[in-house]
Amino acid sequence: MRLQLPDGTTCDMSGEPTTVTTLLTGCNINPLEVIVTRNGRLIPEDATISGSDDIRVYLVAHGG
Amino acid sequence: MDTATGKRDCIPSCDSCDEPAVYFNPGLQRHLCERHLCLDVEHRVIESVTSHGMVHDGDLVAVGLSGGKDSSVLLSILCCIVPERWDAEIVAITVDEGIAGYREETIQSAVSLTQQLGIQHHIVTFQSLFGKTLDSLLGSYPLRACTACGILRKKAFSDAAREIAATSIATGHNLDDAAQSVLMNYLRGDFERLLRDSSSMEDRGFIRRIKPLHEVNEKEITLYSMINGITGHLPECPYATTAFRAEVRTLQAAIEYQHPGASHRIIQGQESLSEQAKKTVRPCGAVRYCATCGDPCSGPVCQACGLLAGLKK
Ligand SMILES: [Zn+2]
Ligand SMILES: [Zn+2]
Repeated sequence: MRLQLPDGTTCDMSGEPTTVTTLLTGCNINPLEVIVTRNGRLIPEDATISGSDDIRVYLVAHGG
Repeated sequence: MDTATGKRDCIPSCDSCDEPAVYFNPGLQRHLCERHLCLDVEHRVIESVTSHGMVHDGDLVAVGLSGGKDSSVLLSILCCIVPERWDAEIVAITVDEGIAGYREETIQSAVSLTQQLGIQHHIVTFQSLFGKTLDSLLGSYPLRACTACGILRKKAFSDAAREIAATSIATGHNLDDAAQSVLMNYLRGDFERLLRDSSSMEDRGFIRRIKPLHEVNEKEITLYSMINGITGHLPECPYATTAFRAEVRTLQAAIEYQHPGASHRIIQGQESLSEQAKKTVRPCGAVRYCATCGDPCSGPVCQACGLLAGLKK
Protein backbone atom coordinates (compact mmCIF):
# COMPACT_ATOMS: atom_id res chain seq x y z
CA MET A 1 0.00 0.00 0.00
CA ARG A 2 1.08 3.51 -0.63
CA LEU A 3 0.10 6.12 1.93
CA GLN A 4 0.19 9.88 1.40
CA LEU A 5 -0.21 12.05 4.50
CA PRO A 6 -1.63 15.62 4.64
CA ASP A 7 1.86 17.15 4.76
CA GLY A 8 2.68 15.47 1.44
CA THR A 9 4.99 12.79 2.83
CA THR A 10 4.45 9.32 1.44
CA CYS A 11 5.36 5.89 2.67
CA ASP A 12 5.05 2.36 1.35
CA MET A 13 3.37 -0.09 3.66
CA SER A 14 2.74 -3.83 3.65
CA GLY A 15 -0.43 -4.94 1.87
CA GLU A 16 -1.81 -6.59 5.02
CA PRO A 17 -5.47 -5.70 5.46
CA THR A 18 -6.10 -2.98 8.04
CA THR A 19 -8.75 -0.36 8.74
CA VAL A 20 -8.41 3.33 7.96
CA THR A 21 -8.89 4.09 11.67
CA THR A 22 -5.97 1.84 12.67
CA LEU A 23 -3.79 3.41 10.02
CA LEU A 24 -4.67 6.98 11.09
CA THR A 25 -4.42 6.50 14.84
CA GLY A 26 -1.05 4.82 14.23
CA CYS A 27 0.07 8.08 12.61
CA ASN A 28 -1.39 10.12 15.49
CA ILE A 29 -4.13 11.52 13.27
CA ASN A 30 -7.66 12.07 14.57
CA PRO A 31 -10.00 10.56 11.92
CA LEU A 32 -12.46 13.43 12.48
CA GLU A 33 -9.90 15.90 11.21
CA VAL A 34 -9.18 14.23 7.87
CA ILE A 35 -10.79 12.91 4.70
CA VAL A 36 -9.41 9.69 3.21
CA THR A 37 -9.50 8.46 -0.38
CA ARG A 38 -8.58 5.07 -1.78
CA ASN A 39 -7.55 5.03 -5.41
CA GLY A 40 -9.18 8.44 -5.73
CA ARG A 41 -12.52 7.56 -4.11
CA LEU A 42 -13.79 8.76 -0.72
CA ILE A 43 -13.94 6.02 1.90
CA PRO A 44 -15.26 5.93 5.49
CA GLU A 45 -12.84 5.47 8.38
CA ASP A 46 -13.98 1.92 9.13
CA ALA A 47 -13.23 0.71 5.59
CA THR A 48 -10.65 -2.06 5.23
CA ILE A 49 -7.70 -1.33 2.99
CA SER A 50 -5.12 -3.74 1.66
CA GLY A 51 -2.97 -4.87 -1.26
CA SER A 52 -1.72 -2.17 -3.61
CA ASP A 53 -4.23 0.49 -2.53
CA ASP A 54 -3.25 4.11 -3.00
CA ILE A 55 -4.40 5.85 0.19
CA ARG A 56 -4.42 9.62 0.51
CA VAL A 57 -5.20 11.56 3.65
CA TYR A 58 -6.39 15.18 3.38
CA LEU A 59 -6.83 17.63 6.25
CA VAL A 60 -10.33 18.98 6.74
CA ALA A 61 -9.75 22.63 5.82
CA HIS A 62 -10.77 25.10 8.51
CA GLY A 63 -12.61 28.32 8.28
CA GLY A 64 -14.77 30.28 6.00
CA MET B 1 -11.68 -13.11 -7.59
CA ASP B 2 -13.14 -10.13 -9.33
CA THR B 3 -11.09 -7.33 -7.86
CA ALA B 4 -13.81 -4.73 -8.28
CA THR B 5 -16.21 -6.86 -6.21
CA GLY B 6 -13.47 -7.72 -3.77
CA LYS B 7 -12.79 -4.03 -3.20
CA ARG B 8 -16.45 -3.27 -2.71
CA ASP B 9 -16.65 -5.85 0.09
CA CYS B 10 -14.10 -3.93 2.16
CA ILE B 11 -16.23 -0.80 2.11
CA PRO B 12 -19.34 -0.77 4.30
CA SER B 13 -22.56 -0.02 2.42
CA CYS B 14 -24.78 3.01 2.91
CA ASP B 15 -27.51 2.47 5.50
CA SER B 16 -30.06 3.96 3.10
CA CYS B 17 -29.11 2.19 -0.15
CA ASP B 18 -26.65 -0.33 -1.62
CA GLU B 19 -24.00 2.17 -2.67
CA PRO B 20 -20.60 2.14 -0.90
CA ALA B 21 -20.42 4.48 2.09
CA VAL B 22 -18.15 7.53 2.00
CA TYR B 23 -18.87 8.62 5.57
CA PHE B 24 -19.32 7.00 8.94
CA ASN B 25 -21.07 8.97 11.68
CA PRO B 26 -19.70 7.48 14.92
CA GLY B 27 -22.35 9.17 17.11
CA LEU B 28 -25.26 7.69 15.19
CA GLN B 29 -23.30 4.60 14.04
CA ARG B 30 -24.50 5.34 10.54
CA HIS B 31 -22.92 4.84 7.10
CA LEU B 32 -23.85 7.13 4.23
CA CYS B 33 -23.03 7.13 0.52
CA GLU B 34 -22.30 10.36 -1.39
CA ARG B 35 -25.92 10.95 -2.32
CA HIS B 36 -27.38 10.16 1.10
CA LEU B 37 -24.74 12.18 2.93
CA CYS B 38 -25.65 15.23 0.84
CA LEU B 39 -29.37 14.66 1.34
CA ASP B 40 -28.81 14.25 5.07
CA VAL B 41 -26.82 17.52 5.31
CA GLU B 42 -29.48 19.40 3.31
CA HIS B 43 -32.21 17.89 5.44
CA ARG B 44 -30.55 19.05 8.66
CA VAL B 45 -30.13 22.57 7.26
CA ILE B 46 -33.81 22.69 6.27
CA GLU B 47 -34.71 21.43 9.75
CA SER B 48 -32.57 24.13 11.44
CA VAL B 49 -33.88 26.92 9.25
CA THR B 50 -37.50 25.84 9.74
CA SER B 51 -37.46 25.02 13.44
CA HIS B 52 -35.58 28.20 14.39
CA GLY B 53 -37.63 30.40 12.04
CA MET B 54 -34.44 31.62 10.36
CA VAL B 55 -36.08 32.63 7.06
CA HIS B 56 -39.44 34.33 6.46
CA ASP B 57 -41.33 35.39 3.36
CA GLY B 58 -40.16 38.78 2.18
CA ASP B 59 -36.63 38.35 3.62
CA LEU B 60 -33.49 39.54 1.91
CA VAL B 61 -30.89 37.14 3.29
CA ALA B 62 -27.29 38.35 3.03
CA VAL B 63 -24.93 35.39 3.10
CA GLY B 64 -21.49 36.18 4.47
CA LEU B 65 -19.40 34.53 1.78
CA SER B 66 -15.71 34.34 2.57
CA GLY B 67 -15.07 31.94 -0.29
CA GLY B 68 -13.98 29.20 2.11
CA LYS B 69 -15.77 25.86 2.31
CA ASP B 70 -18.28 26.64 5.09
CA SER B 71 -19.78 29.78 3.58
CA SER B 72 -19.61 28.35 0.04
CA VAL B 73 -21.53 25.25 1.09
CA LEU B 74 -23.97 27.43 3.05
CA LEU B 75 -24.66 29.61 0.01
CA SER B 76 -25.10 26.60 -2.29
CA ILE B 77 -27.55 24.90 0.08
CA LEU B 78 -29.56 28.07 0.76
CA CYS B 79 -29.84 28.77 -2.97
CA CYS B 80 -31.22 25.27 -3.41
CA ILE B 81 -33.64 25.08 -0.45
CA VAL B 82 -34.88 28.64 0.14
CA PRO B 83 -36.56 29.58 -3.19
CA GLU B 84 -38.64 26.36 -3.08
CA ARG B 85 -39.97 27.13 0.38
CA TRP B 86 -40.01 30.87 0.99
CA ASP B 87 -40.59 34.02 -0.99
CA ALA B 88 -37.17 35.28 0.02
CA GLU B 89 -34.14 36.57 -1.86
CA ILE B 90 -30.50 35.58 -1.30
CA VAL B 91 -27.48 37.78 -1.95
CA ALA B 92 -23.83 37.27 -1.03
CA ILE B 93 -21.51 39.71 0.73
CA THR B 94 -17.76 39.15 0.72
CA VAL B 95 -15.45 41.14 2.95
CA ASP B 96 -11.92 41.49 1.61
CA GLU B 97 -9.84 42.01 4.74
CA GLY B 98 -6.65 42.47 2.77
CA ILE B 99 -4.58 39.42 3.70
CA ALA B 100 -1.81 39.03 1.15
CA GLY B 101 -1.22 35.62 -0.38
CA TYR B 102 -4.51 34.22 0.96
CA ARG B 103 -7.49 36.34 0.04
CA GLU B 104 -6.88 36.61 -3.73
CA GLU B 105 -7.64 32.95 -4.32
CA THR B 106 -10.58 32.62 -1.92
CA ILE B 107 -12.24 35.78 -3.30
CA GLN B 108 -11.88 34.45 -6.83
CA SER B 109 -13.56 31.25 -5.66
CA ALA B 110 -16.41 33.32 -4.13
CA VAL B 111 -16.84 35.26 -7.39
CA SER B 112 -17.10 32.16 -9.54
CA LEU B 113 -19.55 30.51 -7.14
CA THR B 114 -21.95 33.48 -7.17
CA GLN B 115 -21.71 33.65 -10.97
CA GLN B 116 -22.49 29.96 -11.19
CA LEU B 117 -25.47 30.32 -8.83
CA GLY B 118 -26.57 33.51 -10.56
CA ILE B 119 -26.90 35.62 -7.44
CA GLN B 120 -25.97 39.20 -6.60
CA HIS B 121 -22.54 39.57 -5.01
CA HIS B 122 -21.30 42.58 -3.05
CA ILE B 123 -17.62 42.83 -2.20
CA VAL B 124 -16.50 45.31 0.46
CA THR B 125 -12.90 45.92 1.51
CA PHE B 126 -11.26 46.86 4.82
CA GLN B 127 -9.24 49.32 2.76
CA SER B 128 -12.32 51.28 1.68
CA LEU B 129 -14.18 50.93 5.00
CA PHE B 130 -11.36 51.45 7.49
CA GLY B 131 -8.71 53.10 5.32
CA LYS B 132 -6.23 50.20 5.62
CA THR B 133 -5.91 46.47 4.90
CA LEU B 134 -5.85 44.01 7.82
CA ASP B 135 -2.16 43.39 7.16
CA SER B 136 -1.27 47.06 7.55
CA LEU B 137 -3.72 47.71 10.41
CA LEU B 138 -2.16 44.93 12.47
CA GLY B 139 1.41 46.05 12.03
CA SER B 140 3.23 44.58 14.97
CA TYR B 141 0.22 42.90 16.64
CA PRO B 142 -0.06 39.55 14.81
CA LEU B 143 -1.13 37.78 18.01
CA ARG B 144 -4.34 39.79 18.07
CA ALA B 145 -5.05 39.13 14.41
CA CYS B 146 -8.10 36.89 14.76
CA THR B 147 -9.77 38.95 17.47
CA ALA B 148 -9.22 42.19 15.58
CA CYS B 149 -10.22 40.70 12.24
CA GLY B 150 -13.36 39.13 13.75
CA ILE B 151 -14.58 42.42 15.22
CA LEU B 152 -13.88 44.42 12.06
CA ARG B 153 -15.32 41.78 9.74
CA LYS B 154 -18.54 41.75 11.77
CA LYS B 155 -18.82 45.52 11.39
CA ALA B 156 -18.04 45.35 7.67
CA PHE B 157 -20.82 42.78 7.18
CA SER B 158 -23.33 44.77 9.22
CA ASP B 159 -22.57 47.96 7.30
CA ALA B 160 -22.78 46.21 3.93
CA ALA B 161 -25.97 44.36 4.90
CA ARG B 162 -27.62 47.59 6.10
CA GLU B 163 -26.58 49.30 2.88
CA ILE B 164 -28.53 46.79 0.78
CA ALA B 165 -31.43 46.66 3.30
CA ALA B 166 -30.88 42.97 4.13
CA THR B 167 -33.19 41.53 6.78
CA SER B 168 -30.70 38.97 8.05
CA ILE B 169 -27.07 37.91 7.79
CA ALA B 170 -26.40 34.19 7.33
CA THR B 171 -22.99 32.90 8.38
CA GLY B 172 -21.30 29.54 7.81
CA HIS B 173 -20.66 28.74 11.48
CA ASN B 174 -20.78 24.98 11.98
CA LEU B 175 -21.24 22.60 14.90
CA ASP B 176 -17.51 22.40 15.64
CA ASP B 177 -17.12 26.21 15.58
CA ALA B 178 -19.94 26.54 18.11
CA ALA B 179 -18.52 23.91 20.48
CA GLN B 180 -15.06 25.52 20.24
CA SER B 181 -16.49 28.96 21.04
CA VAL B 182 -18.14 27.64 24.20
CA LEU B 183 -14.89 25.95 25.31
CA MET B 184 -12.87 29.09 24.54
CA ASN B 185 -15.20 31.23 26.66
CA TYR B 186 -14.86 28.75 29.54
CA LEU B 187 -11.09 28.64 29.25
CA ARG B 188 -10.87 32.42 29.19
CA GLY B 189 -13.32 32.70 32.07
CA ASP B 190 -15.38 35.02 29.87
CA PHE B 191 -18.80 34.35 31.37
CA GLU B 192 -20.39 37.47 29.96
CA ARG B 193 -19.79 36.16 26.46
CA LEU B 194 -20.63 32.59 27.44
CA LEU B 195 -24.06 33.63 28.70
CA ARG B 196 -24.79 36.19 26.00
CA ASP B 197 -28.07 35.58 24.28
CA SER B 198 -27.78 36.61 20.67
CA SER B 199 -31.52 37.24 20.31
CA SER B 200 -31.24 40.16 22.75
CA MET B 201 -28.83 41.81 20.30
CA GLU B 202 -31.59 41.95 17.73
CA ASP B 203 -33.86 43.95 19.99
CA ARG B 204 -31.03 46.42 20.28
CA GLY B 205 -30.92 47.33 16.62
CA PHE B 206 -28.53 44.76 15.18
CA ILE B 207 -29.45 42.90 12.00
CA ARG B 208 -30.58 39.36 12.78
CA ARG B 209 -27.82 36.77 12.40
CA ILE B 210 -28.62 33.21 11.42
CA LYS B 211 -26.41 30.08 11.39
CA PRO B 212 -28.10 27.46 9.23
CA LEU B 213 -25.09 25.08 9.39
CA HIS B 214 -25.03 24.93 13.19
CA GLU B 215 -26.06 21.25 13.23
CA VAL B 216 -23.50 20.14 10.62
CA ASN B 217 -19.89 19.31 11.49
CA GLU B 218 -16.78 20.38 9.64
CA LYS B 219 -16.04 16.98 8.14
CA GLU B 220 -19.56 16.68 6.71
CA ILE B 221 -19.27 20.16 5.21
CA THR B 222 -15.90 19.30 3.66
CA LEU B 223 -17.30 16.10 2.15
CA TYR B 224 -20.38 17.95 0.87
CA SER B 225 -18.11 20.51 -0.76
CA MET B 226 -15.86 17.85 -2.34
CA ILE B 227 -18.74 15.71 -3.60
CA ASN B 228 -20.51 18.68 -5.20
CA GLY B 229 -17.32 20.32 -6.44
CA ILE B 230 -18.15 23.57 -4.62
CA THR B 231 -14.66 24.63 -3.62
CA GLY B 232 -11.34 23.23 -4.70
CA HIS B 233 -8.30 23.13 -2.47
CA LEU B 234 -7.94 26.58 -0.92
CA PRO B 235 -5.17 28.09 1.19
CA GLU B 236 -5.70 28.56 4.93
CA CYS B 237 -5.55 31.97 6.55
CA PRO B 238 -1.90 32.70 7.48
CA TYR B 239 -3.03 34.15 10.82
CA ALA B 240 -4.98 31.01 11.79
CA THR B 241 -2.03 29.21 13.36
CA THR B 242 -1.52 32.03 15.85
CA ALA B 243 -5.04 31.61 17.12
CA PHE B 244 -6.09 30.19 20.47
CA ARG B 245 -8.91 28.57 18.49
CA ALA B 246 -6.40 26.28 16.75
CA GLU B 247 -5.38 24.81 20.12
CA VAL B 248 -8.96 24.47 21.27
CA ARG B 249 -9.91 22.83 17.96
CA THR B 250 -7.43 19.99 18.49
CA LEU B 251 -8.77 19.51 22.01
CA GLN B 252 -12.41 19.57 20.87
CA ALA B 253 -11.74 17.11 18.04
CA ALA B 254 -10.03 14.72 20.48
CA ILE B 255 -12.96 14.92 22.92
CA GLU B 256 -15.49 14.40 20.11
CA TYR B 257 -13.55 11.39 18.82
CA GLN B 258 -13.36 9.72 22.23
CA HIS B 259 -16.92 10.68 23.18
CA PRO B 260 -19.11 10.98 20.07
CA GLY B 261 -21.81 13.62 20.52
CA ALA B 262 -19.79 15.61 23.09
CA SER B 263 -19.77 18.75 20.89
CA HIS B 264 -23.53 18.69 20.75
CA ARG B 265 -23.77 18.33 24.52
CA ILE B 266 -21.28 21.20 25.06
CA ILE B 267 -23.56 23.48 23.01
CA GLN B 268 -26.75 22.26 24.68
CA GLY B 269 -25.17 22.89 28.07
CA GLN B 270 -24.31 26.43 27.10
CA GLU B 271 -27.84 27.03 25.80
CA SER B 272 -29.49 25.92 29.04
CA LEU B 273 -26.97 27.91 31.06
CA SER B 274 -27.80 31.02 29.06
CA GLU B 275 -31.55 30.30 29.50
CA GLN B 276 -31.09 30.01 33.27
CA ALA B 277 -28.97 33.14 33.39
CA LYS B 278 -31.69 35.18 31.71
CA LYS B 279 -33.85 34.60 34.78
CA THR B 280 -31.27 35.72 37.32
CA VAL B 281 -28.83 38.07 35.63
CA ARG B 282 -29.90 41.72 35.41
CA PRO B 283 -30.97 42.72 31.93
CA CYS B 284 -28.45 44.73 29.95
CA GLY B 285 -28.86 48.49 30.16
CA ALA B 286 -30.54 50.81 27.70
CA VAL B 287 -29.32 50.80 24.10
CA ARG B 288 -26.46 53.21 23.52
CA TYR B 289 -25.08 54.33 20.20
CA CYS B 290 -21.44 54.54 19.20
CA ALA B 291 -20.15 58.12 19.33
CA THR B 292 -18.03 57.48 16.24
CA CYS B 293 -20.19 55.45 13.85
CA GLY B 294 -23.67 55.46 15.40
CA ASP B 295 -24.01 51.66 15.65
CA PRO B 296 -25.90 50.29 18.63
CA CYS B 297 -23.42 49.23 21.33
CA SER B 298 -22.97 48.80 25.08
CA GLY B 299 -20.26 51.39 25.79
CA PRO B 300 -19.53 54.93 24.61
CA VAL B 301 -18.06 53.60 21.33
CA CYS B 302 -18.60 50.24 19.59
CA GLN B 303 -15.98 47.46 19.71
CA ALA B 304 -14.89 48.10 16.12
CA CYS B 305 -14.37 51.84 16.57
CA GLY B 306 -12.60 51.28 19.89
CA LEU B 307 -10.28 48.78 18.24
CA LEU B 308 -9.58 50.97 15.21
CA ALA B 309 -8.72 53.90 17.46
CA GLY B 310 -6.26 51.67 19.33
CA LEU B 311 -4.69 50.19 16.18
CA LYS B 312 -4.27 53.52 14.46
CA LYS B 313 -2.31 55.01 17.39
ZN1 LIG C 1 -27.06 5.77 0.01
ZN1 LIG D 1 -18.61 52.50 16.10
